[in-house]
Amino acid sequence: MGLPTHTARRHLLSGLAALGLALALPAAAEAQVELKVGYMKHPIQDASLDMMDKWAKANNVKLTRVAMAYNIFMEKVTATLTSGNDQFDVIWHNDDWGQLWEKWLEPTDDVAGMDTMSKSPLDAFWSADKKMTVVPMAYTVGTFFYRSDLVKPEEVPKTFDQLVSVSQRLQKEGKVKWGYVGGMSFNNTWFAQWWTMWANNCDIFHPLFERDNVKLKAAGFKPAIADPCHRQVIEFWWDAINTHKISPPGMTAYGRNEANALFMAGDAAFTLVDSTHYGDFMDPNKSKIVGKIGMAPFPVGPNAKVPTAWHEIWGWGIPKGSPPEKKKLAKAMLGAMMLDEEGQIEMWKKTGGPPPNNKILAKIAATDPVFKQLQNAVFDQKPVTHSAYYFAEWPAVHKAYSDVTIKALSGKREDIQKTLEEGAPLLTKAATN
Amino acid sequence: MTIPVADLADPPKPPMFGERQRFMLLLIAPAVVALIFFQIVPILTGANASFRDWSLHDPKYTWVGLKHYWYVLSDPGFVWTVMPNTLVFMAVSVAVSLVFGLGLALILNRQFAGRAVLQTILLLPLMVAPVVAAIMIRWMFNDQFGIVNVVFEALGLPQQPWLAQRWTAFGVILVADIWLWTPWFALLLLAGLQSLPKEPFEAAAIDGASRWRVFRYLTLPMLRSVMVVCIVIRGIDAFRTFDIVWTISAGGPARSTELFSIYAYIEAFQAMNFARGSAAAIIGAIIIVVLAMVVFRLLNRWMEVSK
Amino acid sequence: MTLASPALALPPVRSGFFASLAPGGAKVLFALATIAVAFLFAFPVLWLLLTSLRPESGVYYVHRGTEFTWHNYVEVLQQENILKAFFNSFAISTLATILSLGVTVTSGYMLSRFRGPIPNGWFSVIYVLRCVPYISWVLPLFFVTRQWGIFDTYWGLLLPHVAVHICFFSWIMKGFFDGIDPSMEYAALIDGCTRWGAFFRVALPSAIPGMTALAILCWLYTWNEFLFALMLTAHKTPILTVVMAQFVHELGMEWHLMSATAMMALVPALIVTIFGQKYVIRGLRV
Repeated sequence: MGLPTHTARRHLLSGLAALGLALALPAAAEAQVELKVGYMKHPIQDASLDMMDKWAKANNVKLTRVAMAYNIFMEKVTATLTSGNDQFDVIWHNDDWGQLWEKWLEPTDDVAGMDTMSKSPLDAFWSADKKMTVVPMAYTVGTFFYRSDLVKPEEVPKTFDQLVSVSQRLQKEGKVKWGYVGGMSFNNTWFAQWWTMWANNCDIFHPLFERDNVKLKAAGFKPAIADPCHRQVIEFWWDAINTHKISPPGMTAYGRNEANALFMAGDAAFTLVDSTHYGDFMDPNKSKIVGKIGMAPFPVGPNAKVPTAWHEIWGWGIPKGSPPEKKKLAKAMLGAMMLDEEGQIEMWKKTGGPPPNNKILAKIAATDPVFKQLQNAVFDQKPVTHSAYYFAEWPAVHKAYSDVTIKALSGKREDIQKTLEEGAPLLTKAATN
Repeated sequence: MTIPVADLADPPKPPMFGERQRFMLLLIAPAVVALIFFQIVPILTGANASFRDWSLHDPKYTWVGLKHYWYVLSDPGFVWTVMPNTLVFMAVSVAVSLVFGLGLALILNRQFAGRAVLQTILLLPLMVAPVVAAIMIRWMFNDQFGIVNVVFEALGLPQQPWLAQRWTAFGVILVADIWLWTPWFALLLLAGLQSLPKEPFEAAAIDGASRWRVFRYLTLPMLRSVMVVCIVIRGIDAFRTFDIVWTISAGGPARSTELFSIYAYIEAFQAMNFARGSAAAIIGAIIIVVLAMVVFRLLNRWMEVSK
Repeated sequence: MTLASPALALPPVRSGFFASLAPGGAKVLFALATIAVAFLFAFPVLWLLLTSLRPESGVYYVHRGTEFTWHNYVEVLQQENILKAFFNSFAISTLATILSLGVTVTSGYMLSRFRGPIPNGWFSVIYVLRCVPYISWVLPLFFVTRQWGIFDTYWGLLLPHVAVHICFFSWIMKGFFDGIDPSMEYAALIDGCTRWGAFFRVALPSAIPGMTALAILCWLYTWNEFLFALMLTAHKTPILTVVMAQFVHELGMEWHLMSATAMMALVPALIVTIFGQKYVIRGLRV
């Protein structure tokens, strides 16, 4: 038998009152200083946070991880930053939106270990008054992966044409269903259109490979997408899908998930994606191709001579709205992370994220054969430029670019040039609005 | 036989704010407070932004008048792709889920063993988080690992790159939306069916009227008031559809399946121009306010005429 | 139009699904069609269930291979946040349901029982507000909840949800009260009851079935809602849908964990629906 009704009701009421109090009262003040880090749940970021946690524990600081879903991360953090609130003391920072936050982030030039980092990957993060606004966490580099059980190192395609011919040979021999898979739809542009574009010595705006916003503006954000070098790239993908059939017919709608799913199921011979996926590809729970993966430099387009690459980073930023004493602590914490040799080596081993500290990178290169492959594939190659532009309207340009090229790829081959010419003004419009 | 709705003891000469008015206002007071703080204030903030230079990353808050409205209304993509897409999507989704929902409601209105189980199964779409369901549907229509193409292959039908072509992609988002909302219609229409009086149906059975005639001349007319409200509410919501379309096609390939909410989202959050996104949202809101009103009136008139 | 094929004619059965249908092949076909429709409706959910039981390497090629595992569920349950998120989602859905009904039952009653400028004006307001897309006000909502210091609290998520439900629920509530004969309320008024007394003692009890119905729709909606939850909460108030959304990161998606979490989230929703659905059907009258 249950309680008599009035007792039950009293219990319920006291329960509700307690709940009401819990809702109304703020959390009790804590003696420790708390540093709040806004980040996206990802093994690399957690590894980097583990290093910070080590420092925090040693210095009586409480580190709070505020995970945010990726699909609203940038919007939400941007809204927090512009309202000058001290919601976060450290936030995840990315070259994709480096240009958007320069105004709202604390300079980081004086953080320990910043001098151990290469300069060019930091280009996205300069503020208007020439201060650095990021502390790097790890490299994110596009990497060309191939199936080492199907392709000998010397047979790995070095040109676009070889990519087609090797793929077709493997398909004909019945070894694999598709030659190349890669994300293509918006926000995955790097893994098809863009790597081939840069590998074909081409770019989005004139002057080619220029990343100085002043010069781009002076040139009126003149698109290069209807130029022959860019048309070649789009025709290459059109043919890959429709003529040579080395890529699946639905690939224009693929993101990273679809491409990786095909590659890890053993259905494709080549892909290009962030190096950090190497860990997934080698995880027997996730992948059917464990131990059958090689990394190689990008194949080269007809308009280029040497392979290219991009060397960008993920990093951490310190919001200006954070109180001064917390900023100081945050800088000390990020400095400790930059110089944490053991932690950074651990991060590479566990996640495949190459650490930003060059000295540590050199140490890993000396002992680790996997990293040696990655070094050959990416870090030894000279990038023609950055894998993004660094002006505030860039996200809109990226979207416009994606729409134009997907439209060209979805239509007839003979209409490609026309679609690119019609689409070019949309890029200028997006960049200058 | 609707029950007459009467004013409660209307005094002959009511003072301006008499006891009756006070009672009315008190009845809606909590709702008014909630609406003011959590809907009207945010909506006005957004509306205010639509007249200003208000980007997400660098808001200057300077007044720019109707510039953003003009931009949206003169964007051929908005006028010739987004709006037609939205209207077609709304019309097809509402019409098909209404018909399916009505059919299911008629089935569920009978007595048979397993009815409760069937009803629970049909309500499953309402129980799964729509975004997860949308991801599931996106994978199901993948051209390589999607189960749909696997089944097509087994049946000897031509496989399609569903999401890479405009009209197949549009079909997929429609199927997803219809799947999600048919149960909603079924539930409301079933409730309507069960509240109908029994006597006319018994009389029709004695007269030996055919099933079709009973449906056409009894069930349908009596169910109309329920249907009108469902159509209008669902029409408004279909016009604003965002999350499942965003997850399945994100308006692609190349903006060809873009709906109006997606357009507003892309402008506000991808292009970081919150002001322009708000302007687009307000333009859409005005269109649907007028459209829904017209539809509501037309449907009501049609009801009156056919009674 | 009967199919006269004797092979299709079923022997008479006393009870069960087929007995409710008149004999004849068309009816059998009809029954089969019903089962097929039910299967089609359940299919995405069944496929999601299957996905969640596959090892990570099989969550995309679900049809390829026959290995099954509980591992995804175990991994989700190891997340420190997940139980808290279950609790929070449950509490917020339940509180939002109670509050929404509390404020809409009176509003619907008003719309049903009165005529004049106030009800007309009120109806126009909720109708217009229903038409404004979420996209334009979810970000301002983020700003105002922060301004008022309720961001990332129960209230900061609850109250916007209540506001969202006001329009639709008031409209439907009006329907319930339209279906209830007001003569009892007259009688109560004549007996010396106040208007409030007539509302609470006479009208409200007869609206309970309808309210139960809306309660279930409201609970399911809040339980599964993404956009507000993503925007209006952070680490202090983890919500199930937000935990699910966090399985998506810049480099892809943990689909095996997401599907398992979604299936776990389905269980409370299923329980609520099963227990509530007889009230739903009995109560919903528009």
